Amino acid sequence: MSQLESHVTVQKRAYYSPPWADVSIIAVAGSSGSGKSTLSQTIVKKLNLPWVDSFYKTLTPAQSKLAFANEYDFDSPEAIDFDALINTLRDLKAGKRAEVPVYSFAKHARLEHTTSIYSPHVLVLEGIFALYDPRVRELCDMGIYCDADADTCLSRRIVRDVRERGRDVEGCIKQWFAFVKPNFEKFVEPQRKVADLIVPRGIENRVALDMMVQFIEKKLFEKSTHHREALARLEVRDRDEPLSDRVVVMSEGPQIKFMNTILQDIDTSAEDFIFYFDRLAALIIEQALNNVQFEEASIETPPGYTYNGLRPKGEVSAVIVLRGGSAFEPALRKTIPDCRTGRLLIQSSYSTGEPELHYLRLPEDIHKHESVLLLDTQMASGGAALMAVQVLVDHGVALERIVLATYSAGKVGLHRLMTVFPEITAVVCNLLPHAEQRWVEKRYFRC
Amino acid sequence: MAEKPAPASAPTQCVGPTFRAVADKPSATVSAVVSSDNVYVLPQTPQLIALLSMIRNKDTERADFIFYSNRIIRLLVEEGLNHLPVIEKNITTPVGRTYNGLMFQGKICGVSIMRAGEAMEQGLRDCCRSVRIGKILIQRDEDTALPKLFYDKLPEDIANRWVLLLDPMFATGGSATMAVEVLKGRGVPEDRILFLNLIASPEGITSFAAKFPRLKVVTAFIDEGLDEKNYIVPGLGDFGDRFYTI
Repeated sequence: MSQLESHVTVQKRAYYSPPWADVSIIAVAGSSGSGKSTLSQTIVKKLNLPWVDSFYKTLTPAQSKLAFANEYDFDSPEAIDFDALINTLRDLKAGKRAEVPVYSFAKHARLEHTTSIYSPHVLVLEGIFALYDPRVRELCDMGIYCDADADTCLSRRIVRDVRERGRDVEGCIKQWFAFVKPNFEKFVEPQRKVADLIVPRGIENRVALDMMVQFIEKKLFEKSTHHREALARLEVRDRDEPLSDRVVVMSEGPQIKFMNTILQDIDTSAEDFIFYFDRLAALIIEQALNNVQFEEASIETPPGYTYNGLRPKGEVSAVIVLRGGSAFEPALRKTIPDCRTGRLLIQSSYSTGEPELHYLRLPEDIHKHESVLLLDTQMASGGAALMAVQVLVDHGVALERIVLATYSAGKVGLHRLMTVFPEITAVVCNLLPHAEQRWVEKRYFRC
Repeated sequence: MAEKPAPASAPTQCVGPTFRAVADKPSATVSAVVSSDNVYVLPQTPQLIALLSMIRNKDTERADFIFYSNRIIRLLVEEGLNHLPVIEKNITTPVGRTYNGLMFQGKICGVSIMRAGEAMEQGLRDCCRSVRIGKILIQRDEDTALPKLFYDKLPEDIANRWVLLLDPMFATGGSATMAVEVLKGRGVPEDRILFLNLIASPEGITSFAAKFPRLKVVTAFIDEGLDEKNYIVPGLGDFGDRFYTI
């Protein structure tokens, strides 16, 4: 296993690669109206994958005029912003979040907003020139070319453009003979030669569709296996080493021990459990806040004396790891009422136990926040925490700014997390010798 | 800027987590240290210093003053409750593990010294939901310039309870001293009194702790001293005014 000795600290660093770090890209090319969109959308729907739309260039005013008169050549590779496309694909290949432009056919312009794509395991790239640029082909794991009869293409295209893109029939026919057909022969058709798979008859071709779905499923399964293997490998190393000094375990005074007694007692009523959890969670958050950055602040008191105090250096935001972490929210609101809060849902797959990222909403400028508190009630193997920290890293949050706070953590899981991300700080109320299944959220939310 | 500089005696140190290098930690004025065994000062964490800076600042609005002082008061109450007696209790957890826990022994009540002490009642209730709260009103007698008891309403069985006595500011301690005398007069043993306080003067708290050696004082911060008008330096002004009326 790869392992580096850092020269700054003696801490050994391990590497964790999330399952989305090496996204498989499948390109679907073919003539306009060949059924490639329908085919891709069927695959996307079957496998629940994200969707990349058009990368048309923004038109100049003169070009825009032509476009509205149906005289602009959208079917030439010239109209495609391949540089933007390649940057996006490279970001996604590196496991980063990528912004995808949204193109409006009604306005012939790129819209102000972008769609962000993050953490797909497989990505379907669909377009007439999906296999045109060699740089794109290099990034693709599979290239598909959809083949169709020219008559079918024209009729499909007319129906689509009139119904979905607000054109008239005459304009469509004009475009077909002026641009689409000549371009097809010049640019589109040659892609047949570089495709891995040629699919005739588009969507009606069930066999081809099933083959593609199977191929993607196999890819996903391989990724899941590798991810689980990587997690298991991280677990076996350095079991007996002492924990990093960046792990802050709360000192167990009588009051905390008393609250723990009530919280852990199976006979405690729901009302008491919620009350004491909120109370203890507030202390955990206060303790977590001791690890954010402060700066010196000289202030004047009402009688006119100076006090050399402190103030937080910048904004502290929070990211809740759902569902467990949301039990921290009442306590968070008590401590920082207007704390900006991101949320992510990580669930372990029922069949494999592999943690999976299902949902993600973060503040846009989270990479600029002075500190980010990552909140979860319990950490067992640390798989979900690893993934959550990786998500923050992918969104540009520096590791030193992350403070993870949790009610209880198993020593092995915590050690694993700190070996992969030695620069983060972890605040733990109960450090357990063994990993424990999640029970706090069940008690708190009563289901 | 302030006209009067802080006395040089104020202890200044770098505050922050132990894993961080001293050079990476900001420095601030921290609580003075007194030698009394029965005075407990909250750990001088950067967060506590920042909260105190908020409520000390003369430009802090009342809403913020209330919010941030409540946060400190909750920390005070949590620390204060650590000084109550406990007994062991083993329980079984939802995942079948045995936990060697503990329970509190005995009953408690709060007693606030009006009016600033009443501002601490919410923080107490946040930690102890249905706690009984008594009140004591002590004011300065215009003729003698000495504190005088005007009113008290205390739980009838107070002699059998642990008492958390609440007053945020401790300058000369006239009121707190009289309040302890009242409690002792009602049969509360001195060693069952916990005095919870936000900011104290070193001379005041030292003589108070010496006068009542068996009670315990839990405070967030011991300031530099008192000025000629007996105001705490640097202090935070009149707590009751800033919490209730300004």
